[in-house]
Amino acid sequence: MSSRRSSRGAISDEEINELISKLQSLLPNSRRRGSSQASTTKLLKETCNYIKSLHREVDDLSDRLSDLMSTMDHNSPGAEIVRSILRS
Amino acid sequence: MDTKSTPPPRPHQIPNPSRPDFLACWAAASPSKPMLAFHFLRALSRIHGVTTVRRRTRTIRRAAYSSMARAASPRRAWSRALLGQARARRSRTLTGRAVLLRRRRITAAAPPQPSSPASRSATIIAARGEISTAAARPLPPRQEGEPPRADALRRLVPGGAGMEYCSLLEETADYLRSLRAQVQLMQGLIDLFSCQ
Repeated sequence: MSSRRSSRGAISDEEINELISKLQSLLPNSRRRGSSQASTTKLLKETCNYIKSLHREVDDLSDRLSDLMSTMDHNSPGAEIVRSILRS
Repeated sequence: MDTKSTPPPRPHQIPNPSRPDFLACWAAASPSKPMLAFHFLRALSRIHGVTTVRRRTRTIRRAAYSSMARAASPRRAWSRALLGQARARRSRTLTGRAVLLRRRRITAAAPPQPSSPASRSATIIAARGEISTAAARPLPPRQEGEPPRADALRRLVPGGAGMEYCSLLEETADYLRSLRAQVQLMQGLIDLFSCQ
């Protein structure tokens, strides 16, 4: 863990701000606002929405993968790649 | 950690099976991506006899989350929580069926009591309740900064219910990175399999 905690109950605001700015850099459309303090709530809301959209995308992609797997031919080059990856 | 700096292949190119360009250049972005691919592909290769499309979709989705948790460091609370949920789901299926069978045998042998269906459902609900309360502990959140939004975040991130606010932010960041890598992996696989 890279964060240094002084004591159990006193987590400094700087660490929280650091973590929040790290989260902000992970989000897709991270606009560099002047004060990150005022938009913490919005940042958390955007994070929640982003996680939800990623969950939906995983569902959608697994749906497409399932369709693809049903139509995949076993001797296709794709299956060869998969087998070679799993062997090595 | 061997990383090759090759340009990423465009999805329209038909990949050459002898050179794993796709995996090599995609692995250059982050050190854990080969493990992610390995776990997910292995889980995919085990899915053969599942006939229903809906069940296969559900199995693939569960395999995605499980492989994501396996590829992550076990220090991460969200990966432990995900694997614990998968284990609980498997044992819940077995426990529910075993309890049902046992109750049916008992009620068939003994004279039927008026409370037996209630007790049977109560046993199953108790078994499920144990697992669900173990998974979602209603701990009060440590109100350091943002109570209302942090609750929603706790519900989204696996294992976020029992965390402090600071750890929750760290776990969220790591979970986001892994989720994004998983989505990229699945998208890449779909592109790979669909341009035959």
